[in-house]
Amino acid sequence: MNIFARSRSLRRSLLRQMTGLFLGGMAVLYWAASSYASIAADRSFDRLLAGSALSIAESLTVTAEGVRVDIPYSALDMLAAAPDDRVFYRVVAPGGGTVTGYTDLPAFETLVRGRGNRGADSEEYFDAVYRGEPVRFVVLGRQSANLAQKGWTWIQLGQTRNARDALARELLIQALIPIGLMTVLALVVLWFGIGQSLRPLDNLRAELVAKDPSDLSPIKASVPDEVAPLVDGMNGFMDRLEGNIRFLQDFIANTAHQLRTPLSALIVQLQLVERGTINDRAHGLKVANRSAKKLGRLIDQLLGDALIGHRSHLGRSENFDLKKMIARAVRDTVSMMEDHDIRFSCQLAEAPFLGDHVVIEEAVKNLIHNALTHGHRDGQAVEILLERNSEAYQITVMDRGSGIAPDFLQTAFERFKSGNSETGGAGLGLSIVRQAIEHQRGSVAITNRAGGGTCVALVLPLS
Amino acid sequence: MIRNLALICLMVFVLAGCGGSKPANVLQPNEAGRLTIYSTTDTEIFRPVIADFNTLYPRVVINYVELDSAPLNERVLDEHRGNTVQSDIIFSTAMDMQVKLVNDGLAARHVSANADNLPDWAQWRHEAFGLTFEPVVMLYNPRLLGSRRVPQSRADLAHMLAADPQFWQGRIGTYDIGQSSVGYLLATQDARQSSEFGALGKVMGSRGVRTYAKTSELIADIETGRIAFGYNVLGSYAKRRIAAGGNLKIIYPQDYTLAIVRTAVIPKRAPNPRSAHTFLEYLISIRGQNILARNSFLSAARSELGGAYGRIGITGSDIGPLRPIPLGPGLMTYLDRQKKDRFIANWQAMTGSGERPPLLQPDQAKN
Repeated sequence: MNIFARSRSLRRSLLRQMTGLFLGGMAVLYWAASSYASIAADRSFDRLLAGSALSIAESLTVTAEGVRVDIPYSALDMLAAAPDDRVFYRVVAPGGGTVTGYTDLPAFETLVRGRGNRGADSEEYFDAVYRGEPVRFVVLGRQSANLAQKGWTWIQLGQTRNARDALARELLIQALIPIGLMTVLALVVLWFGIGQSLRPLDNLRAELVAKDPSDLSPIKASVPDEVAPLVDGMNGFMDRLEGNIRFLQDFIANTAHQLRTPLSALIVQLQLVERGTINDRAHGLKVANRSAKKLGRLIDQLLGDALIGHRSHLGRSENFDLKKMIARAVRDTVSMMEDHDIRFSCQLAEAPFLGDHVVIEEAVKNLIHNALTHGHRDGQAVEILLERNSEAYQITVMDRGSGIAPDFLQTAFERFKSGNSETGGAGLGLSIVRQAIEHQRGSVAITNRAGGGTCVALVLPLS
Repeated sequence: MIRNLALICLMVFVLAGCGGSKPANVLQPNEAGRLTIYSTTDTEIFRPVIADFNTLYPRVVINYVELDSAPLNERVLDEHRGNTVQSDIIFSTAMDMQVKLVNDGLAARHVSANADNLPDWAQWRHEAFGLTFEPVVMLYNPRLLGSRRVPQSRADLAHMLAADPQFWQGRIGTYDIGQSSVGYLLATQDARQSSEFGALGKVMGSRGVRTYAKTSELIADIETGRIAFGYNVLGSYAKRRIAAGGNLKIIYPQDYTLAIVRTAVIPKRAPNPRSAHTFLEYLISIRGQNILARNSFLSAARSELGGAYGRIGITGSDIGPLRPIPLGPGLMTYLDRQKKDRFIANWQAMTGSGERPPLLQPDQAKN
């Protein structure tokens, strides 16, 4: 007995989800780390580049003859901190001509357009491909106060990206190694952790396997909080199962007892007739016939009871007309019992209802049968009424029989309690009715009528 | 699933770790080939190296073109502009110009274990390679100096020049930095390293310093006694002359001793790239470095051949700090057009002032 279907392993599905999560997380972290790494690498080398450009800017002198630059050795030498990177520079005079350096460096003018108005001399960075290699450039402006050379002198300094990219790669790897190790570690821990967490379920399984089939006592295995509702549910289920089994056992015992008495009587009567010990054979057969009918009726009721119990488990529901159903029930019942008078009155043109018509019909038939059996006296008719108010239908079955003893009104609806020992009902009828009606969310009430007889009222709510 | 993940991780790490050394594109030992070398090094000095290389690769025909560094650089640039590159490998003592070639993107990459074993200062971008490590010294003619005290540092020299104008007038020589690229490189490094440089320049100027475009001429004049003292002389050339019997003495300045790095660059569009890579690989191999050091008197760059002092044939206690000029973008500073013009103009103004008596005749040079 495996409490989980084979195709769905908790461990595998958890692991699959977690792996997906971790891989997704790794992808996000990779992206974040790689963009962070390149930003960090750019930032640190940009500072160096700017420092170098600044030291070139410091060496600028603008005279009437032109711009003079005295590139400090340190300006280019400090860039050797990126040992394998090429360095390009140029100094552009206010007129736009290159004063010194590489004349063919990528243009930066669009980048700094309008800077003259703003007057700011902070540096600008950009990437461009120069001589077949990606190069990071910084552009730094200096405004000259010299009247003959009015305007901005620009220093453009570039360095290839080898060291930056290497640093970014290194940062990225430094970041990814622990992330990767953590992921692997987490998955390993998860693998064993799942096994550990699922052990109580295994204990539960072991206890269930070891349990005697007739032992419906609560499960004793200690389980984690998450599994406790499952165990509670199982315990509750077993509790109900035990109740049902006890009820069935009672029911079978009672039924057997109820059936044995009339059957024994019938057998005795038939034996008497057979042996001819009774003089009046015709009388003997008549008695036997009555006993057989009574037995048949009892079996009918038992089957009805079983039917309703079964139907109530199915929980079927459909639209049908109560009026037609009652008329049919009257017809069926009367055909079985000749020589009876039943009056069915209903003011409604039709009575649509949503419910299990088999169950309700069975209940109504039972009531009619009861009324005909116990309440038929002096040719007084059995009356059936179907009425409706805003909330419910009410079916009333009234007879002019002997009524029910006041003591018995309380217990009239319990199984095998018959209020009339003379006419010998098995006591199933009303209990079936109640079971059927309550299953349809209705209610049933029994009262004695003024002037003799009983009145049973079924109330079936509309919704 | 865990196994897959582990595999993916492994693959990521392996891929991230890739891009290490790949074997250079080299010749087979018996393969025929041609190789054109543009070099500032005297053919004589380089001959043993080529001979040894030819024992390894006998079928490589080598065309060695000796040029001064500035014309060499011009020629290389012209050939690139005209897309008629003829040189397969370029050797030059003008480290700054070689660095500029690399920076301009004209050089090919050379990746090998030997290249990785070069000191940091002897390699840039895997495109410029320092083959040698040559101290820059002061050189004098002991016969002319006689019993005079020998200057041990720049400050010392400046002081002596100032103190005895009569002896020193016209008897000191150095590079003409307007004509000699090495001279310019050395002067700019001095200007950067030494606070005494201005003072030394001035006093050399007033002593009528003689300037030379070629190292060999400068050394020859000291050896023959036309002048007594040379400042900023390539030690390797001097040692070679001494080994050949020249009456010369070397001073490693105590304040600091510069060392230049003869630099090799393979042009990107070299007509025989495989020969070029093979030759470069040979030069930076232990064998090539040994030949350079022993047979060509060009002390080796690789530290496997001894400590920095041992490689140039001295013990460390004799001299002050050795400062190899590192290959790197900083060298391009002094190639800046404006800067170079101004530097040379300043230098010439500083050194051109003093009166120059006629050169001593070699036979007169007796003290």
